[in-house]
Amino acid sequence: MNAADAHGDAPPAARLAGVTKRFGAVVALDRVCFELAPGEIHGLLGENGAGKTTLARVLAGLLSPDEGQVEIAGTSVRLRNAADARRLGVAMVHQHFSLVPRFTGFENVALFNEGAWTPRGRATPGYRAHVEARAAELGLAVDLDMRADQMSVGQRQRIEILKALMSETRVLLLDEPTAVLAPKEVERLLAVLRRVARSGTGVVLVAHKLDEVLSAAGRVTVLRRGKQVLAGPARDFSARELAVAMVGEPVGRDRFSDKISLESDGRESADVVASLTDVVAGSPEAPSLRGVTLAARRGEILGVAGVEGNGQRELAAVLAGVLQPLSGVARVPSKPGWMPLDRGEEGLVGDFPLDENVALALHDEPAFRRGPWLDWSGIKKRTKALLADADVAAPGPEAFAATLSGGNQQRLLVARELDRSKELLIAESPTRGLDVKAARAVRRRLVEFARNGEPPPAVVLISPDLDEILELADRILVLVRGRLLPVGPSDRSATAIGALMLAAGDAVGRR
Amino acid sequence: MAQMGLRIARALQPVAQPVLALAATLAVAAALLALGGHSPADAFGALVQGAFGSWNRFLSFTLVQATPLLLTGLAVAVAFRAGAWNIGAEGQLLAGALAGVALAISWPEASALVLLAATFAAAAAGGAAWALVPIAMKTRMGVGEVITTLLMNFVALFLAQFLVQGPLRESRGVFNMTDEIPAAAQLAPLFPGTRLHAGFLVGLLLAGGLWLYMSRTPGGFRVRVAGASPRAAVASGRFDPARVVRWSFLASGAIAGLAGWIQVAGVTGRMYEGLSPGWGYTAIAVALLARLHPGAIVISAVVFGALGAGGGAMQRDAGVPEAWVRGTEALLILALLAVDRGFRAASKGDS
Amino acid sequence: MISGSTKQWRAQRHRIACWTATAVAACGGPSADGSDNPDPAGSSPSVALLTSGPVSDAGWHAGAYEGLQRIGDSLGWRISHQQTRTPAEFDEAFISYAEAGYGLVFGHGFEYQDAAERAAAQYPDATFVVSSGSRAAANLVPLIFRLEEAAYLAGMAAGGVSRAGVVGMVGGVEIPPAKGTFLAFGAGVAAVNPEATVLETFTGSWDDVAAAKEAASAQLRRGADVLIHNVDAASFGVFQAVREAREQRGRAWAFGMNRDQNAVAPEVVVGSAVIDIPALFLQAAVAWHEGSLRGAPRAGLASGAVDFVPNPALADVVPADVEARIAQARRDIASGALEVPRIRYLEEDTLPAASPVQPPPN
Repeated sequence: MNAADAHGDAPPAARLAGVTKRFGAVVALDRVCFELAPGEIHGLLGENGAGKTTLARVLAGLLSPDEGQVEIAGTSVRLRNAADARRLGVAMVHQHFSLVPRFTGFENVALFNEGAWTPRGRATPGYRAHVEARAAELGLAVDLDMRADQMSVGQRQRIEILKALMSETRVLLLDEPTAVLAPKEVERLLAVLRRVARSGTGVVLVAHKLDEVLSAAGRVTVLRRGKQVLAGPARDFSARELAVAMVGEPVGRDRFSDKISLESDGRESADVVASLTDVVAGSPEAPSLRGVTLAARRGEILGVAGVEGNGQRELAAVLAGVLQPLSGVARVPSKPGWMPLDRGEEGLVGDFPLDENVALALHDEPAFRRGPWLDWSGIKKRTKALLADADVAAPGPEAFAATLSGGNQQRLLVARELDRSKELLIAESPTRGLDVKAARAVRRRLVEFARNGEPPPAVVLISPDLDEILELADRILVLVRGRLLPVGPSDRSATAIGALMLAAGDAVGRR
Repeated sequence: MAQMGLRIARALQPVAQPVLALAATLAVAAALLALGGHSPADAFGALVQGAFGSWNRFLSFTLVQATPLLLTGLAVAVAFRAGAWNIGAEGQLLAGALAGVALAISWPEASALVLLAATFAAAAAGGAAWALVPIAMKTRMGVGEVITTLLMNFVALFLAQFLVQGPLRESRGVFNMTDEIPAAAQLAPLFPGTRLHAGFLVGLLLAGGLWLYMSRTPGGFRVRVAGASPRAAVASGRFDPARVVRWSFLASGAIAGLAGWIQVAGVTGRMYEGLSPGWGYTAIAVALLARLHPGAIVISAVVFGALGAGGGAMQRDAGVPEAWVRGTEALLILALLAVDRGFRAASKGDS
Repeated sequence: MISGSTKQWRAQRHRIACWTATAVAACGGPSADGSDNPDPAGSSPSVALLTSGPVSDAGWHAGAYEGLQRIGDSLGWRISHQQTRTPAEFDEAFISYAEAGYGLVFGHGFEYQDAAERAAAQYPDATFVVSSGSRAAANLVPLIFRLEEAAYLAGMAAGGVSRAGVVGMVGGVEIPPAKGTFLAFGAGVAAVNPEATVLETFTGSWDDVAAAKEAASAQLRRGADVLIHNVDAASFGVFQAVREAREQRGRAWAFGMNRDQNAVAPEVVVGSAVIDIPALFLQAAVAWHEGSLRGAPRAGLASGAVDFVPNPALADVVPADVEARIAQARRDIASGALEVPRIRYLEEDTLPAASPVQPPPN
C-alpha cells in the first residue's frame, strides 16, 4: 500500500502554508500550500516556469519566502540558507549536478558531510566503509573511486543522491532527476527512491514526464503559474487530467493519446543531403565515433537514439561541419541548421540581446550586410518576425537572451535554425527540459519543417528520449559506444530499443 | 505624506548607494591624509587644481598622462572582448617602443612622413610580435595566456634593460638611455604652447574606429561572440572562434606596441629602462572600469590621467608624499568601481 | 649613476665656502653678471626637488631630499618635492614649479636632463640644476660629482694596508661613474704599491646582497686581502665576506664607498670614499642666491663635499708614511696639482670648467 499511510499519524515531513515568492514583478509562487508526508514519494508537476523549482528551493533553504510559513517535521522554521535546511534534514539533488569534477565519488560524498570529518578536520576513520554500506543499503550502484568527470550522468546522479542521504534525511528533493536518463536507468532510480521512502524519508520528485511520476508517486501536486491547481493521491488522476491541469487547457492530440508524427509513408526522398562514411572522430586515443556511416535524406526525420555520452555530441558536431573526422568521409552541407544540446551555452549567448543572437546565424549573409557594415535594422526586423512567428514571449529584440525562460529560448532557437537551414537540420534533444505544451510545439515545427519544405530538408534528431524518437522519426538508428546500430521496423518499440542502447550504455558507464 | 516620503526614499535608494560609497571613500582618504599630517582640503584642492586647474594644465598634464593609458586600455579591451586575458600590455608596450626607437635612431635620414609611417608600423609589429609567443603557446601547447603574457612582461623589461645598457645605449655610452630620436620622428603638439601631442589624437581615432568595428561590422561581432561564448561561436558554424581570438590578441599587442612608441615620440624623445610606470597593468583597470567599451575607455583613461596629474600636484602643492598620493588614488579608483557597480545594480533593479 | 648617501650625512661645512668660491671663480657662463638672479618670490626664495625614486631609500634620493630639507631649515626658504614616475611627469613637474614661482629646481639624476633643458628654455627666470647633468645654459646647471678623487685616496690607503699585494673591487652595474671610481681607486693603489694586482668584478645589481658577497668571496679566495665596493645597498654582502675571510685567514680589510660606512662595519672598514650630497645642495642653493651658480660646477675634494674619511677606530691599520702621502695627495688634488685619472664620460669637457685642468698624468 501507499507508504504514506504507514506513517499516517506522524506530523508532515515538510509543509508550506500560504507561501508566496516574488522575483521583481513576477510572482513565482502565489500562496502555495504543499504537504509532504514522511515516507511518501510526492510528484511535483508543472510547466516550465510554473514554480516547481522555486518551491523546491524554498524548502531547501535556498530561497526565503516573501510570505507564508515553512514547517519541517511539524515545527515552523526560518531557513536562512542551505546549511540550515541540511541541519533539519532537508537535502536537494539539483538538476545541474554540483559535484567537483576532479574528485572521486567518495571524495565528493565526503566533502560536504560533517560525519566524514573529525572536529579537527581529519578524515573520520571507517567513513569509507560507512559510505559503502549506505550505498548498498539504498541499492545505489556507485563506483566510489571513479572521478566525477568520468562518470556517466546516471552515475553522477547516484553519487548526488548518496551524498544527500549520508546523514539523516527527512526530506529529499529531486529536481528533474529523470530528464537525462535512459528508461532502464529511470527504473533503477525510481526503485532507489521507493527504498528511500520506505525508510521514512519524504521524497519530492520534480518532473515533467507524467508517466514516470505516476508510476512512482503516491501523491501529486500540480502547479500552474505559481498556483497550486491540483493535489491528491496519484491514483485518482489520469495522465490526461494531470496534463490538462498543467497547461490549463485541453491538450488535444497529445503524445499520451495519439501521435502527431506519421510512420514512414514512403515519401522518402532519395536525395541525400548529408552522408557519413566510416567516420572516426573525437580524441585520437579514444575516439567517440568509431566508424559511423549514415545518410540523411530530404524529407526524412532520422532519429538517433541512445544514452548521452555515446558519441552524440561528436556526431552532431561532425554533421554540423564544426568537427573534422579523424578518418572516414563526411559530406555535409556548408551551413546546416543546428540546435545544440546546451541551448543556453551553445545555441544562444545569454549576455547578448535577441537580435544579436539572431545575428549569430545571419551575420555573414550578404542580405544582412551593407558594404562593410552589418545591417542591424534588417536583423532587428528579422528578429521581430521570428519572435512573432515562433510565439516567443519576449519584450522585444533588445531583451537579453538570458532573461527568457528555457521554453522561450528554445522557441527562438528553433525558429532561427529552421530559418537558416534549407538542406539539413540537426536537432539535439530539442525538447529537453520543456513542458508539455512547448515540447509539443517544437515537435510539430520539426515535423512540418521536414515535410513541407520546398524542397523538403533532412532532419537528424538526436535524443535520449525514446518516446520522442519513436514519435517523430521516420527511421531510427541507435548510437552505442560510438557505433550506429540500425533499428528495423519490427523493433520500433521502447523496450526493444531501450534494451539495445542500455546493454552497451551501461558497459560504457561502468568501465 | 509619510507615504510620499517613503516613495522618495525608495526612488533615491539606487542613487544613495554609490553616493554613500563615494562619500565613505573620500572620508577614509581624508582621514588617512589627516593621519599623515596633511590637510585633506589642501590635498584634494591640489588634486583638482593639478588636473583641471587650467585649460593648458588639462591638455598638457592630464591628457598627456591619459594618452598611454588610453592606448593600452584599448589594447587590453580588444583582447578581453575576445576572451583572451592579455595581461602583457606592459611588455608589448616596451617591445613596441624598442622597435620604434631602434628604427628611428638608425634611420635619421628618412623623411618625416616615411619615418612616421615606418616607426608606427615597427612599433605595432614589435608589440604584436611580443603577443605572438603567448598566442603560440596557447594554441600549440594549451598554456594559459595569463601566465605567459605576464612572464613576457619580465622578458621585455630585461630586454629593454639590456638594449638600453648595451646596443642601443646613447652614443656617448654614459647613461642607460638611447640617443634622442630624430626630430622627424617626433610627434608635434596638437595645440601650440601645450605639450599635448598627436598621440592623443591617435588614441581618440583608434577608440572611434574600434567602437565602429565592434558594434557595426561582422568582424567585430565575431570578436564579441568569441569572447562572450566560444561554444556558441563554434555551434553557429560560421567561424572559428580560436582564429578570431588569435587575431584579436595580435591586434591587442600591436595597439600596446603603438602606445609605447607614441610615448617616446610624443613625450620622452628617448627610450629609458623605466619608460613605463606600469601602464600596461593600470590599463586593465582602465578597460574594466569602462566595461571594455572603447568610448568609455577614453573617459576612464582621462580620469586616470587626471589622477596622475593631480597626484603630482598633491605632492608639489600640498606636500603629500608619493606613497600617500598613490594610496589615495587607489582608494578613489575603488570608489569609482563601487559607484559603477552600484549604478549597474540600480539600473538592473529598475528594468 | 653615482649612488649612495645616508640620512646621517657627515657634514663637512668647513669646506663649503671653498667649493662655492671655486665655482664662482671659474664661472664662465654665458651671462656673467649676477644681477639677473631670479628671485621671483621676493623676500623668501622657493626651491623644489624632483627625484625619480622614493626619498626613503637611504641613498641617492634620500641624500637629495635631506639637502632640500637643509635648505629649508638653514636658509628658511620654501621647499617642495615631487617623486616622478614617468618622463611625462618630468616636464609636468618642471613646468608646474616654474609657473608656481620656484626659482631653483633640482632634478636629481641624468634622466632629468632633456626635460630640464626644455623647461630652462621656456622659463628663463628659473634655474634648473641637474645632478650628473651633461649640458649647461644660462639657467641650466649640471652638478658633476667627482667621487673618483676620494676613491683615489682610498686606493692609496688600500695599497698601504694590503700585504698580499692583491686588492679587489666589487661593483654593481657596470656604468661609467662606477668604473671611474674603480679606475681612480686602482691608480691610488698603484701609486703606493706599483706591484699590486687589482681585481674587478661587477655583479650587475645595486641591491643583490648575495651576489655581492659571492663576488667578494671569490676575490678573497684569489688572494685579495683588501676590498672596496661600489654596490650601494648590497655593500653589506661585501663586508660580510670580508668578516668571514678574516675568521678563516686572519687578515682582510674593506673600504666603504659613497657614504661614510666606517660605523657600518667598524671592525673591517678602514675608511670610506664619501660624497656629501646634502652639503652640495645647500652650497648650490647659496651660490644661486648670490648669483654665482653658473657653468658646470664639479664637486671634488676641493669642494669638501667629497672626501676620503678614515675610520678612527682603525687609525693604526694604515701605515704612517702612507697616511702622510694621502694627506699630501689630498692637498695636491684640491689644488689641482694632481689630477686623478677618470673616465671622460660626460660632456663636461665641452662645458665651462669650474676646476683647474691639468694635462693627464700619463
